[in-house]
Amino acid sequence: MIRRLAYAILVGLVGAGIVHIAILLMLPSFSERDAWSKLAASAEPYAVTRLAPAEGQPSVLRSPDPFFNAIACRFDLGEGIAHLTAEGSVPFWSASVYDRNGQNIYSFNDRTSANGSLDFVIATPLQMTEMRKNLPAEFEASVFVEADIGEGIVVIRSFVPDASWKPVISGYLDSVTCRIG
Amino acid sequence: MLKTVFLSLLVLAIAIGGGAASVWYALQAREGIGAVAVGPWTTFPDLGTPQADPYSKARIAREGVLSLGLTEGLTFIAQKDSDGGVLRRDCNYTIDGTFPPARFWTLYAAEPSRAVIQGGHLRPPALHSSEVLRRADNAVSIAVGRDPTQGNWLPVAGAGPMSFVLTLYDSPAASSSGIADVALPRIAKAACND
Repeated sequence: MIRRLAYAILVGLVGAGIVHIAILLMLPSFSERDAWSKLAASAEPYAVTRLAPAEGQPSVLRSPDPFFNAIACRFDLGEGIAHLTAEGSVPFWSASVYDRNGQNIYSFNDRTSANGSLDFVIATPLQMTEMRKNLPAEFEASVFVEADIGEGIVVIRSFVPDASWKPVISGYLDSVTCRIG
Repeated sequence: MLKTVFLSLLVLAIAIGGGAASVWYALQAREGIGAVAVGPWTTFPDLGTPQADPYSKARIAREGVLSLGLTEGLTFIAQKDSDGGVLRRDCNYTIDGTFPPARFWTLYAAEPSRAVIQGGHLRPPALHSSEVLRRADNAVSIAVGRDPTQGNWLPVAGAGPMSFVLTLYDSPAASSSGIADVALPRIAKAACND
């Protein structure tokens, strides 16, 4: 009896190891609390959503640094390339492209573009090849980001040096457009 | 017959219960694989990238974090002072030394949940590099505590553990291979209010 019980516990522990690995590897695909799900609950695809900086506004996703304001936009490269632009200039902006699971695929900042203006296109390698053949005039000044993903999230963060900058940064982030190019 | 049913149920209970509990425990733990420590400061350069370990990936998915990319900034977190004592919100600390090259850096005190600690004053609960006072050798000394002090002051309030979060934005330290070689300031405990 004792031997059978010990055997059962041993099998149980091996099973626990398998379950541990299975849960761990499946969690990113099945999580309902990930960044994508939270954004999907509050905004449509291609809608520019403010990631609440601090107290007051309800926060979709925390932007932890108190000196930063940020916006997010969900896109689907299966429907076409994503084109993001903003008007004006700010002391510092940076952008990150995330895949469906919230993993950071590519990031860059305002030093990437020639004059610091925000104008970039996210495309898959295939769309990029197609576009290079015949570059539309509207993308002449754009920075191209190649991302081999389908659905994704793009986040733009901007530095707010002090309270007097808040209206400028808010206006800048409000001017961001995110659309199918 | 009943014995076989009981043993099968035991196997299933240990496998499913133990497996789920161990994942939950592993994801609650803060320190993880892939950490780079510089004195009391630690950073996770791979956090939130496809190169991260499965535990970080699961944690990212579960907490809904959109982590900062390496070209955006590099975040260091200190939970202990340079002598190894846990950082407490009711103590005074001095953060002193030179900061690595970066466009700018920001520093704030955070709760264990990573929420910013509000100092209870009108001042913003954080500091950034272009507003701090520097000594002649470019070093910065920041007093952290409840009561206002001259020079650089980071207000904190309350009780319990806290951590310091230092983010270097657009820093060459992030792109070079030697993150462990950067010099970060010391954290010294000054006094505690009891």
